[in-house]
Amino acid sequence: MKRTLASLALVLALGAVLLYGVRQIAPAPGALRDHFVHRGMEQTGSVNLVSSIYLGYRAFDTLGETVVLFLAVAGVMVLQAGKQ
Amino acid sequence: MAPYLILALFLLGIWGLVRKDNLIKKVIALNIVNSALIVLFVYMGSLSGSTAPILVERLHPGEGLRRLADIVDPLPQALMLTDIVIGICLTALALTLAARIYRRFGTLDIRRLEKAAAQDDGAPPPASPEGGSRPDDGQSGE
Amino acid sequence: MKDSELVDIVSRKLVPFILLFGCYLISHGHLSPGGGFQGGAVLAAGITLLCLSRGVKDTLRTFPMRRVSLSESAAFLMILAMGVIGLVLGRRFLGNFLPLGEPGQVPSAGFIFFLNLLIGLKVGTGISLVMFTLLREDE
Repeated sequence: MKRTLASLALVLALGAVLLYGVRQIAPAPGALRDHFVHRGMEQTGSVNLVSSIYLGYRAFDTLGETVVLFLAVAGVMVLQAGKQ
Repeated sequence: MAPYLILALFLLGIWGLVRKDNLIKKVIALNIVNSALIVLFVYMGSLSGSTAPILVERLHPGEGLRRLADIVDPLPQALMLTDIVIGICLTALALTLAARIYRRFGTLDIRRLEKAAAQDDGAPPPASPEGGSRPDDGQSGE
Repeated sequence: MKDSELVDIVSRKLVPFILLFGCYLISHGHLSPGGGFQGGAVLAAGITLLCLSRGVKDTLRTFPMRRVSLSESAAFLMILAMGVIGLVLGRRFLGNFLPLGEPGQVPSAGFIFFLNLLIGLKVGTGISLVMFTLLREDE
């Protein structure tokens, strides 16, 4: 019971601190969005703007994330949760 | 209204991470925290517009008018795609490690794991339990 | 895990359509919501359904572990190769060097289409490998 109350107090304190930040959420300035929306299709040729970002403008991040996936698969196969 | 719900989801995940004793439940709570953050980013991007960032006017010309300024910011959505895959990788590795810990120590309860790890001296793992008895997996410390 | 014949039969009829839907998501990634990651996840979900209903040993007869593992590594290496080709041909690393067709057709957006295919193959086979390893039961 004491553990539950202590965890609840911790979480509520964290929530009070984060609430201050959450109340300040506002729309971001639209200059970057205007660039993607107006010029995205003619520069990458893709109708899907999200694809044109993560495969066209920022393909390097996608490459890094492919490496992370590869490492995770290799890690799971090495650790072999099923065998003794 | 939506930011407060996202905050509630995040705090729910943190509470599960702190309070639950089972390793698998901690991994699930981590996943909930990850999902809350993804939804928060996509929500903050959606404040700049009202329709999806796909230029359907090029595919089907003449189908519905819409100003280009009404399109939602596509950048947070593209970044969160990467985040989702990294969440999958984290969960896969964490669950594999949890399975290895279970095979090594016979329990998933962190209280017992603390004691068992303190006395750990690299001895061979205990004999696996028979098929009849159910091994304990931290039901007591919920 | 082979304890329900109904689930086994229904999933065997359903899995080809799931895989087909995954391929559709991957190949139309630049025209509609979807892309490499989404389609790859659907491919892996189809193979996972097969694992859950028939057991990993039977699934490994249709999708051998060695072949799946080789295609994952080959897809990753080809992504790197496409990046280097972009560098060699004068654009930046991972820059577009294929012609942009007319937008709205499937073989348009040159580079993005191939990158989607490779990423879809990689994610699908990668997550399938994870599922094979985690769901395997020892005999």
